[in-house]
Amino acid sequence: MKHWIRTALATAVLSASFTASAQDKVIRIGVIVPISGPASYFGVPAKQAMEMAVDEINKTGINGYKFQLQVEDGACSPLQSTNVVKKLIDEYKPHAMIGEWCSDAALAIAPIQNAAKIPTINVTSAAVRLTESGFENIFRIFPHAEMQNAHLAKFAAEQAKAKTAVILYEKTNAGLDNANAFEKDFTAAGGKVLAKIDFGKDVNDFIPIATRVASLGKVDALPTYGLEGQVLRLTQALAQVGATKGGGGTGIPMGTIFLPYGFDKKAGPSSVGYVRIVQFDPTEKRATVQNFVNAFKARYGANEIPSHIHAHSYDAVMLIADAVRRGGTTSAGIRERLAQTRKLELTTGFITFDEKGQNIDPSTMHFVETNPDYSWKSLSF
Amino acid sequence: MQDLLILLAQQSINGIYLGCMYVMVALGLTLIYGVMNQINFAHSDFVTIGAFIAFFVASRVATNWLGLPDTAGYLLSIVFAIGAGALLGLLINAAVFAPLRNRGDELRPLIATIGVSVLLENGLLAIVGPTPYQFDSPFSRELIRLGRIFLTQQTLLVIGFTVLAVGALYGFLKFTFLGKALRAVAQDRETAGLMGINPALLIALTIVIASALAGGAGAMLGPVMVLSPFAGATLIVKAFAVVIIGGFGNIDGTILAGLLTGLIEVMTVQYLGSGMTDLVVFGLLLLTLAVRPTGLIAERREVNV
Repeated sequence: MKHWIRTALATAVLSASFTASAQDKVIRIGVIVPISGPASYFGVPAKQAMEMAVDEINKTGINGYKFQLQVEDGACSPLQSTNVVKKLIDEYKPHAMIGEWCSDAALAIAPIQNAAKIPTINVTSAAVRLTESGFENIFRIFPHAEMQNAHLAKFAAEQAKAKTAVILYEKTNAGLDNANAFEKDFTAAGGKVLAKIDFGKDVNDFIPIATRVASLGKVDALPTYGLEGQVLRLTQALAQVGATKGGGGTGIPMGTIFLPYGFDKKAGPSSVGYVRIVQFDPTEKRATVQNFVNAFKARYGANEIPSHIHAHSYDAVMLIADAVRRGGTTSAGIRERLAQTRKLELTTGFITFDEKGQNIDPSTMHFVETNPDYSWKSLSF
Repeated sequence: MQDLLILLAQQSINGIYLGCMYVMVALGLTLIYGVMNQINFAHSDFVTIGAFIAFFVASRVATNWLGLPDTAGYLLSIVFAIGAGALLGLLINAAVFAPLRNRGDELRPLIATIGVSVLLENGLLAIVGPTPYQFDSPFSRELIRLGRIFLTQQTLLVIGFTVLAVGALYGFLKFTFLGKALRAVAQDRETAGLMGINPALLIALTIVIASALAGGAGAMLGPVMVLSPFAGATLIVKAFAVVIIGGFGNIDGTILAGLLTGLIEVMTVQYLGSGMTDLVVFGLLLLTLAVRPTGLIAERREVNV
C-alpha cells in the first residue's frame, strides 16, 4: 500500500513539475491596440496579423518556447491606454509588449512600460520624442516624422520643383511633428510654407478648409498628415476646389505611411499624382514579402491583401521571436537582444536599431506616386 | 476686393451647407427634448446607422440587384435610411425607453440612451468592421459653377432636404391633428391625457419622427462623413452645442443656431484657423449660457415644439 502511495505521490510531483515547466516556457506578449474609436481600423488587422505570426511560431516553438498574446483596447486614447497598460503589467506580467499604435497614446504609456522594464515594440507612432526621451526599453520599427519628411520635403523642393506648400495636419503629436519636420526641411531647401492648417479628429466636412487653401494662391505641394478616413475626405475636397492634380490643378498632394494600400482606389480621381511614403508594398518581389502575402491569403482568403498595418504588426511579433531565438527569454534578455538587432529582414524591410531604439534602416521607406489607374509608380529619392 | 467678396460668398455657401448638416442632426434631439424633456445620447448612432443603410442600399441593393442608375440608387437609399431610422426608433422605444419611462424615473431613460449608444456602436462594429467606408454620392461628383463660385449637387440636395424636412415638421406640428396633440403633450402631458390623448403613443411618435430625421440625416451626411461605426460620435457634441445655443426643445432656435454655427465655423477656418473652431463654437455656447440661458430664441419651454 505504502509503495502505491509513494508511486502516486512521485507521479503527481513529476507531473506537476512537468506542467509547471511547460507553462513557464511561454513568452507572454501584451498588446495595446486601438480596437474602438476613430483609429479602430488599426485594431482588427493588427490582431489578425499578430495571431497569424504567433500561430506560425507556435507550430514548432522557438528554443522550446511558445508565444502567447493578450490583446487590450487602447482606443488611441492616452487615458485608456494608461489604464490598460497598468492592468496588463500587473495581471498578465508580459515578457514584452507591442503598442499603442497612436503617438499620443504611445507617448503616454512609454514611461510606464520603461519603468516596468518591459521591452516594447512600437509600430506606427510618428512622434519624434518617443525614441528621443531616453527610454531604453522602447524600440520603434516605424520611421519617425523627421525621417519621413526629410525625404518628402527634399522630393518636393528638388524633384517636383515646388516653391510653395500648405501643410495640413491632424491636431495630434504625430500630426504636429510631421508638419514641423516638413516645414523645417522644405524651408531649408528654399521653399516657402504659405500656411500650416490643423484640424481636429471630429472634422467631417473639409470643403471650408480646401476653400481656404485655394484662396492662398498657387500652392505647389500639399503635405497632409492624418488618419486614413479624414485624409481621404481632405484629398477629395482639395481636388474639388481644384487645388491638386487630381482636380485639374497643379498642387501635389503628399502624405505618409498612414495611408494604406487601397487608399488610392477609395479616393478615386482625387488621388492621382499623390506622392507618399509606404512602408509595405504587397507587390514587392522580396521572398519575405511574398511568403507573408501568400500565407495571409491562405489564412484569410485569396482576395485579402495585407496592408501596412498587418505587416507592421506581424513584424513586431517576429522581431520579438528573433530576440527569443537569440537567447532572450526574460524581459531583460529580450531587451538586450532587441538592442543588438542589426539588418534583420522582415516584411517591411530591414531592422537596425540605433542606441535610442529607433530603426534607422532606410529600406523600410518606399516612395510612390499614384498613377491614373490608381496603381503605384515607384519613385527614387 | 472682388476676390474677397467671392471668397466670402464661397465660404458662406460652405457655411450654410455645414449648418444644414448640424440642423438635420440637431432637429431630432431638440424634438425629443421638447416633448419628453429627455436627452437622447444615442441620437448620433441613429445617424450613423442611417448612413450605413444608405450606403448598402445605394452601393449594393439599388445598383447590383435592382439595376438602378447610381443617382436613382442614392435617392432610393435616402428613403430606406428614413424608414430604417423610424423602425429602429420604434423598436428601441418599445424595448428600452418606454418600459423605463413607465417606472416614473427620469434618470434611468437618460442613462439607457448612453447604453443604447454603446450597444449600437459596438453592434455596428461587429457587423461592418472598423475600416472606414468610402460612400460617394453621385451628386458629389457634379460641380455647379457660378462664375468663380462652385458648389456640388450634393450641397443643393442637403440644403433642399433640410428645407423639406423642416417644412414637413412645421406642417405636421401646426396643421395636423397628431401634430397638435403632440404639442399638447409637450405642454402638459397629464392634461393632454385627460383630454383623451394617449401620451405614450405620442411619445413613441416623437421618437419615430426624430429617428427618421436622424436616418435621413445619415443618408445625407454619409457621403461627407468618415463612415465608420463611430462616425456619429464626431457629430453629437456639436449637435448638442447647437441645441443648447438655440434653446433646448426650441425648433426655431435650433435652426437658427445650426446655420449660425455652420457659418461661424467656416469663417473661423478661413480667418483664424480650423484648429480654433471648437474654441469659438464652445465659447459661443458658454456665452449663450451666461447671457441667454434659454437660448437664442427665448420662449417658454411648453410652447417650443
